[in-house]
Amino acid sequence: MNVLKQSEHNMKKLFIALLSVGFLASCTEVLEDVEPSTSVSFEAALTSPEAVDAIRASMYSKMRGSFDFTTEYFIGPAALADLTSNRPGSSRFQGLNEAVGTNGTTHIGSFGGYEVIQEANLLINGIADGVLDQATLDRYRGEAYAIRAFVNHRMAATYGYEPGTAAASSWDLSIILRQEATLDLAQAEPLPRSTISEVYAAIKSDIAQAKTLLAGVNGDNGYATEAFVEGVAARVHLYAGEYSQAAAAAEAAISKSGRALVATEEGVASMFRGKNPEALLELVIDPNTEPIAGSNTNSGPVAYTSDQWVAQVPTNQLVTKYEAGDWRVAGWHGDCITEQSVGATANGCETVNDLGVSITKFNGWKGNLSQDLTYMRIGEMYLILAEATAKASNNPSAGVPYLEELRTARGAGAVPAEATANMKAFEDFILDERVRELSVEGHRFFDLKRLERDIPNSDGGIKMRKDSYRLLSPFGIGAQNVNPLLVENPGYDVAE
Amino acid sequence: MKKFTFLLGALFVFTGLAVAQTATIRGTVSDVESGEGVPQANVFIVELLKGSAADFDGGYVINDVPYGDYTLRVSSVGYVTYEQSLTVDASLEVIDVSLQPDLASLGDVVVTGYGAIEKRELTGSISSVRTQDIEGVTLQSTEALLQGRAAGVTVSTTSGNPGGAFKVNIRGNGSINAATRPLYIVDGVQISFAQQSSNTSTTPLNSINPNDIESIEVLKDAAASAIYGAQAAAGVVLITTKKGRAGAVQIDANVERGVRNIANSVDYISSDEYVQYMAEGFAFNSGATAIDGSFDLQPYVDVYKNFFLSFFGADPSSEDGSQLANTNWQDFIFSEGVTQKYNISLSGGNAGTVFYISTGYEDTEGTAFGSDFTRLSLRTNVDQQIGDKVNASIALNLAQSTQFGVCQDGNYINCPPSQAMFEAPMSYPLNSDGSYNANTRFGLNTNPAVVENEVDRNVTVGFLTGRFSLNYNPFSWMSVTGLVGVDYRNTQDEQYRSPVAAPGQSGFLSYANRNVYNFNTSVVVNAQQTFNDVHNVEALIGGEYRRDYSESYGTRGDGFTGNFFTVLSATAEPVSAFGVNNEWRLGGYFINAKYNYDEKYFLSFVGRYDGHSRFGADNRWGFFPSISGAWRISEEDFFNADFVDELKVRASYGTTGNSAIGNYASRGLFSVSGSYRGASGITPNQLANGLLGWEQASEINIGLDYELLDGRIFGAFDVYRKQNSDLLFGRPLPGDSGFGSITENIGKVENRGFEAEFNSINVSTRDFAWSTRFNFALSANEILELPDGENIREASQFSSLQIGEPMGLIQVARWAGVNPADGRPMWYDGDGNITYRPQASSDAIDYKDGHAEFVGGFGSTVSYKGLSVDAFFQFSFGQWAHAGTDFYFTRTPDFLMNLNTEVLDRWKQPGDITYYPRAMEGGADFPETANYRVTESTQGIYNTSYIRLKNLNVTYDIPTSITDVIGVRGMSVYAAGVNLFTWTAWPWYDPEVAGSTTDIYGNQIYASYPTEKTFYGGIRLQF
Repeated sequence: MNVLKQSEHNMKKLFIALLSVGFLASCTEVLEDVEPSTSVSFEAALTSPEAVDAIRASMYSKMRGSFDFTTEYFIGPAALADLTSNRPGSSRFQGLNEAVGTNGTTHIGSFGGYEVIQEANLLINGIADGVLDQATLDRYRGEAYAIRAFVNHRMAATYGYEPGTAAASSWDLSIILRQEATLDLAQAEPLPRSTISEVYAAIKSDIAQAKTLLAGVNGDNGYATEAFVEGVAARVHLYAGEYSQAAAAAEAAISKSGRALVATEEGVASMFRGKNPEALLELVIDPNTEPIAGSNTNSGPVAYTSDQWVAQVPTNQLVTKYEAGDWRVAGWHGDCITEQSVGATANGCETVNDLGVSITKFNGWKGNLSQDLTYMRIGEMYLILAEATAKASNNPSAGVPYLEELRTARGAGAVPAEATANMKAFEDFILDERVRELSVEGHRFFDLKRLERDIPNSDGGIKMRKDSYRLLSPFGIGAQNVNPLLVENPGYDVAE
Repeated sequence: MKKFTFLLGALFVFTGLAVAQTATIRGTVSDVESGEGVPQANVFIVELLKGSAADFDGGYVINDVPYGDYTLRVSSVGYVTYEQSLTVDASLEVIDVSLQPDLASLGDVVVTGYGAIEKRELTGSISSVRTQDIEGVTLQSTEALLQGRAAGVTVSTTSGNPGGAFKVNIRGNGSINAATRPLYIVDGVQISFAQQSSNTSTTPLNSINPNDIESIEVLKDAAASAIYGAQAAAGVVLITTKKGRAGAVQIDANVERGVRNIANSVDYISSDEYVQYMAEGFAFNSGATAIDGSFDLQPYVDVYKNFFLSFFGADPSSEDGSQLANTNWQDFIFSEGVTQKYNISLSGGNAGTVFYISTGYEDTEGTAFGSDFTRLSLRTNVDQQIGDKVNASIALNLAQSTQFGVCQDGNYINCPPSQAMFEAPMSYPLNSDGSYNANTRFGLNTNPAVVENEVDRNVTVGFLTGRFSLNYNPFSWMSVTGLVGVDYRNTQDEQYRSPVAAPGQSGFLSYANRNVYNFNTSVVVNAQQTFNDVHNVEALIGGEYRRDYSESYGTRGDGFTGNFFTVLSATAEPVSAFGVNNEWRLGGYFINAKYNYDEKYFLSFVGRYDGHSRFGADNRWGFFPSISGAWRISEEDFFNADFVDELKVRASYGTTGNSAIGNYASRGLFSVSGSYRGASGITPNQLANGLLGWEQASEINIGLDYELLDGRIFGAFDVYRKQNSDLLFGRPLPGDSGFGSITENIGKVENRGFEAEFNSINVSTRDFAWSTRFNFALSANEILELPDGENIREASQFSSLQIGEPMGLIQVARWAGVNPADGRPMWYDGDGNITYRPQASSDAIDYKDGHAEFVGGFGSTVSYKGLSVDAFFQFSFGQWAHAGTDFYFTRTPDFLMNLNTEVLDRWKQPGDITYYPRAMEGGADFPETANYRVTESTQGIYNTSYIRLKNLNVTYDIPTSITDVIGVRGMSVYAAGVNLFTWTAWPWYDPEVAGSTTDIYGNQIYASYPTEKTFYGGIRLQF
């Protein structure tokens, strides 16, 4: 009797407890206290030093991970012009080789650069005050300015004309400038394209900021350094036709980097088979855990050129430009085989070039079809010095010493006399030397475009005339649908 | 409380008096129609909480009943409960009771959200599958029991893998980017579907032994489901397990064994036919224009035979090496499996305690390569009455399942179902010395024999599902119920590949451990009162909280020296480690207010206010109301059709939510993104949308329940329209913002349909009984709104979403047949002219869709004396689909894989009218013609409509004359089959096309594990 009564009494208590739990637990605080395990809130990310380190890591990781700023960056301009062509049976970048219709420049669209810029913007203006010590913050911001300038410049070359060119006078729209981090929906709103002069001004402003913030930071070329900023400045001024500034910046890039040209046959041959001694910016990869362009084996530059697909093979326009004895021929080209994949073979290079070779600047020396990626090196600075010095003084001979310094380092002979006959001849020679030195390093199409030349085919014919609308990449209908302020480049009208 | 004390006091008084004046009540309980005894009928003296169970012949005895006036209550499943007044004194005589069979089910209790009501009081639309429908049906899983048995519930097998998953849709597909899985609740415990195995197809409902299921109710309309608020938009499935009943302990045991085979195999051509085919293709490509009697094909045959001998090697049993193998890869990959099941349950109890305990073990071998499913389950359901006001109840299920699975569902070169298509008959698994043939289609490491022997994909799942509830009745008109439910699940995925199967890694072992800690608790207060005998008022109010936390972590090691050790410690190097966790929480308050006037007019209001951690900070709580009413016309005075027992119309309207929008979809988030020089990266990958909320379903339902001819015919009709709005879509953002899109509530889909259930008891006599049941649902699906009014993937062949069209629209060019002049394939262009190069963008027509419009099931049971035969058919009409793997790989010899027999009806000479073009060496052989291999057209789209004999059971109850002798209460033997016959025009493995459990298109299938048919026999014993 008592037991029963007691238990019933206890039950009542239990019910009251249960009721309270049931009705009180369901309050909003409980519902909000749920956090994801592999994500953090915006607030947490922008106020913790570890998170800021991680944003910086992501900036470089995004660059290395994006197809736009790796395979397409390096090989696209060669394939879209005359330096590489697809090996029979492989189709990667065939669209660039053939450049039929809007196929072509579309493929070097570099909209993916904005993902890198988003990270740069976060570092530049998204970090709360006091999260990092000033020196570290300055350095990160300096790197962010440098990377933003670099990426914006490449996008500007893809979507707009260069300042001062004939085409620029009739079409002066360049890229959309995203200079603020997107932290909420309002900031993601559509922006219009800026003009060429606005974009170049913004890029130069970024360079100036970067120079200040990175002054004296030159120890590690796996991150943006002061020397890299000078290199970016040299490129930007060269594209803008500001030759004396370009030359000065190139000279500064060389001296601040503390690096020198590789000048032995063995050195040239091994230059791309390990840490590049000439690199101004060389993104580092862990071959086991980090992919290039999403997938080393499918989409990386190694897979495109020397392994896996062996898809883009040098043309005669490239391999016949070298003179006998130039160390760069044997050093940077190799048999038509897949370098890493055991037992795999490729053939058909001989149908693309008379030597039957493939390009081995991307050879996967780190394993897993990956290697550190050299975005800029002092070989390019010597070429900028030569071109800019000559053009600044309107005197071809003024550029010859820099050219010869480079050529000597590569086992090539003296600059022939006819190359200095006039500025046009000198520019022709510079273009050829840039092919010899910088093939598949991201320059060919853009060199021809900035110098207002026709874009040749791999057979020497003309692929796109210098006044073709197709020199500019279209933004595409998708981007326009989302952004009513976006004006499409001429020639790519929606009505087809 | 006073009453309680009084009662106890009274008991003591009676007990004290008992010494002097007690009597024994005895008698027989029998079936009024057959006259046979009703064994185990429960005979109970209400006032004394005292009773007993009838014996095998219906006889009962209750001893030591004090003199007095009582109510005697006799009940048994399947009979109308009988009550009579009784005066116990010296003159007491034998009391025999005849029970009226309860043919119909209006008095049946239907489990509803947070309660149970009698069917006649229902105002919403609920389909019930109950014990008697599924008794004796051996199916592995809960979802399979629903298939064809509940109108409006579409169940499709996604895998024939034993223990595999199902796609379950209640009243159509109401979402595009959020899940459309119903909410499953087992004995009050809401089941989590988080963190399932990635090794093979599986489902959390594998924890339930179907033998333990008492009933399954499907809450279909908003009136029935709105009380589950934000989780209810895709419908709710309530699973109730068996409970004990007061009376002697009953023991049920059953043993069953059977065999499984694939239900249907696909016909492929032989090696000789293959050579012949290739020779013809070669001849045509060499300039031949006809293969007729005068054409000498032999030189071409020789070329191909020799090529195949060098490519695949000679048949290992061919002594001179001149013969090609002719391997039937389907036979090699799919072989007979054995299934065995053992179940035992005990139930019983007394006035204070009732219990049901059971254990079951099942081991079912699948057909593909050692795939296997075992389940060991232990269940304890105990209800304890404490005093007369409190009842405690516990339902506890412990189960462990293991699955040896195979990979499936895709064009994967290492998955057995696709390998059955990828290996040509000329290829063979083993060399004559028993070693693996290295020349199978994709080389040694994917030789199907290697996949069979050198690859393990094991899944071990431990389940703990438990519910504890307390029910307190402070007054006769009021109850308070508290419930705590846990659903814990641990899944261990282990995948091993030997060095032979994974030469690149020298073998590897990957291991993943997945845990789900899912908890829900609720408190419900229920009160009801009747005023003036006619105004019945009832109110239920409650609160609930649920937390679903899940995690997974795992690692992989590469490099084994051999097959000796298959543990991580034996690997040469650890390669990767991962770990993530996930969580969501939900809190809600709900109310259900009901009123009925004289059980004639019914009105019910349900409201639920739910808050969810997934919803945006500015939209955290949502309100989900429904209102419904019913009118029992048959209770009206003016209604005088005697043959109608019950006629009730129902109407309901309400809204529910779909909270399956992603755990953190509303938040602004930085997520892990790559790494650089040893530092992990994070990147903003999602912008906050504080307004992001649930997808909302608004549904109107009108129904009619009927019962005719003393319950011989009964059923229901329902017509509904359900609109799901605020569907989740990613609204694209300018790419330069760094974000591709933001998730917002846009979009609208409608499902509408008509459902009917019909049951009849055609004959019910002492020796012979015959009943039938039939249900069907007609449904239509239509997309009403999409972001910015723009169709999505407008030109896509199989995944286009277009306003005004159903999901799963198929857009392909029309097939025009084979050109009789030259054997080329032909298609129609958009203008209806013959074309040889159809363009997807301009020539495709809106063809069919993957929506099954007419689904249901029908069955019949005939019994004569102890023998009964039950057949149940399930059907689906109107769905069309594309068998992707079969289409791309087995119609042309481009990859030298199996060729299906449709190539036999091929063009050979001018004038031939054929289904298939001329033989080809590759799909691109025809000049100026699209590649036949990859050109989608109406030729490759098939109707999946089918009628399937889902279950056939023959049971024989051994007569009591024998069972009495051997001392058992009952005994039956049975033989049965599952999926024995399927009538369909679908030529591939299985017409139940469902790409996955969440496939919304239903129009494509890629090499899924074929459905199996099972024969089994068993014996059931009752003690």
